[in-house]
Amino acid sequence: MKALLIDDERLARSELRRLLAAHPQIEIAGEAADADAARERIAQLKPDLLFLDVQMPGEDGFALLESLEAPLPQVIFATAFDEFAVKAFEFNALDYLLKPVDPARLAAALAKLESVSAPDAPAGDAAAHTERLQAQDKVFVRQGERCWFVEVRTIRLLESEGNYTRVHFDGAQPLLFRSLNAMEARLDGRMFFRANRRQVVNLEWVETIEPWFSGGLLVHIKGGPRVELSRRQAQAFREQMSL
Amino acid sequence: MPTMHLLSSDKRLPSRPGLYVGCQLAGWGTWTLVYLGLLFAQGEVLVDGKAINRQPGPKDIALVLAVNCIGLLVTHGYRAFIHRRGWSQLSPKALLPRIAGASLVLGTVWTAVAWPLVHVFMGRTEETVQINPATVTLYSVFNGAVLLFGWSALYFGYHIFESYRRSEIDRWQLQSTAKEAELQALKSQVNPHFIFNSLNSLRALIDENPAQARDAVTRLANLLRYSLKAGQLETVPLEDELRIVDDYLALEQVRHEDRLRVRVTVSPEAAAAPVPPMLVQTLVENSVKYGIARRREGGEVAIEARCTADRLLLRITNPGSLSSAGGSTGLGLRNAAQRLRLIFGERARLQVAEESPGLVVAAVELPLAPVLPAASAPRAVSSVP
Repeated sequence: MKALLIDDERLARSELRRLLAAHPQIEIAGEAADADAARERIAQLKPDLLFLDVQMPGEDGFALLESLEAPLPQVIFATAFDEFAVKAFEFNALDYLLKPVDPARLAAALAKLESVSAPDAPAGDAAAHTERLQAQDKVFVRQGERCWFVEVRTIRLLESEGNYTRVHFDGAQPLLFRSLNAMEARLDGRMFFRANRRQVVNLEWVETIEPWFSGGLLVHIKGGPRVELSRRQAQAFREQMSL
Repeated sequence: MPTMHLLSSDKRLPSRPGLYVGCQLAGWGTWTLVYLGLLFAQGEVLVDGKAINRQPGPKDIALVLAVNCIGLLVTHGYRAFIHRRGWSQLSPKALLPRIAGASLVLGTVWTAVAWPLVHVFMGRTEETVQINPATVTLYSVFNGAVLLFGWSALYFGYHIFESYRRSEIDRWQLQSTAKEAELQALKSQVNPHFIFNSLNSLRALIDENPAQARDAVTRLANLLRYSLKAGQLETVPLEDELRIVDDYLALEQVRHEDRLRVRVTVSPEAAAAPVPPMLVQTLVENSVKYGIARRREGGEVAIEARCTADRLLLRITNPGSLSSAGGSTGLGLRNAAQRLRLIFGERARLQVAEESPGLVVAAVELPLAPVLPAASAPRAVSSVP
């Protein structure tokens, strides 16, 4: 597993390097001292895992994640005591380490990561879909003090709001700084369906379907809102669902 | 109003039997005398609510005394009832209907007890026979109720006033305690983020440069010890504070390496000037946090201290701009300003400004004279009326 260490302090990086020496499955591909350098290294090295400091000069760790194109590499945050950051993490499954890092805690985080990333996409399919997000890929969303690492399969509905997209998933619907069209282009068409100009639904979350006015359809999404399909979209929908 | 007792564990007002007995006897005594005075002055006797023109005799006087003694006993029972039900805790709004009801009931009781007496004393006179007993009873109950209502007004008026006074005292006490606690908390603040980051750097340094690691441990220990002790001291000589600032900056240099540069200029007479502990430290910490840690290229933190005739002038400068201090809640600065106000009152100044583009300056002015005792930690509130 290729890892990139991102921290503005040289000693912090060297400490992490030393700690990771006990885990030969992690290959340290490189280091970066700020967000700009990190973006460059990520594009060039394509790491599977980021060790990311929250507080850095210039853009912080969250801003870096927001700026990255999905699919994101796995991320483990490393932060010193910081109420704000720790609070942000408590809302979701992001893993984080507190500095100074406890070696046992690091081992646990790596073990958890391996159990998650084990099933890989089938080899033949991979080439055709590298540009598309897979069900288990993650999208990073931040709104105010909260942030989420959202697995694509848990997204129920995407709604266009100007240049932003509102992402509906377990009990939250934050705004993502991407247009709906840009998001749709990255999603797997077999899983996500363009219902109308404003909405893209995840077919796996569809609960019931009713006939609606003038040949359209009304789709109920589990624990979410109802979505209207025009006749033309309903036609396409029926075709896709009948497969 | 009684709910304002923030500090006292027992919310009930203290019972003062001496005062109560005195007030009861004086009140009823006065009332009886006034009543009798009126009887004699008007040369009339009230018999069952009807005025009869004759001079009051000993029988009449005895009757008035007896009826008022019953009144006193009724109010005494009333007071016991008030105590048991805790009416002194009630708000005036809740109290008013209760008092009105109680006055009416007790007026009835009073009449019922006094009625046989009237007959024992007066016998059946031709005057009383003529009057409708219902009218007489109503008249008597109403009279008693009005009197008892007046009694209640005096009783609760006193208690409400007393509880208000006590709540004022409690509020003062609370304020001064809060102020003291606040001062304690403000004094000892080392940013935990800094501590943990330093410990993290230290872990790396132990392998890389053991001598520097040992030095860093000593400095961290100094800083922590000083910040703990700072809670007990009002002021320290500036040179003591600067020694700790030096330890702090050395630790930050371990983290930021050559991104952090330091310049310290202190005049000899400024070195002995009294400063609140952790004040310079807080300002320098702010400088590093916003001026150095957030800038890729880092920069220089400069500390300057000199004296005028009666004041110490401190300047702490760092590169950056005030508007770029995003995410700053200004808490550290607000705390520092608050501390100065608690210790020096209006005689100290703290100001943070962008003096020239790209240069942020925290300027402090402190009096060189010893701290005013009155402005220091607030006293206990025994002197509050």
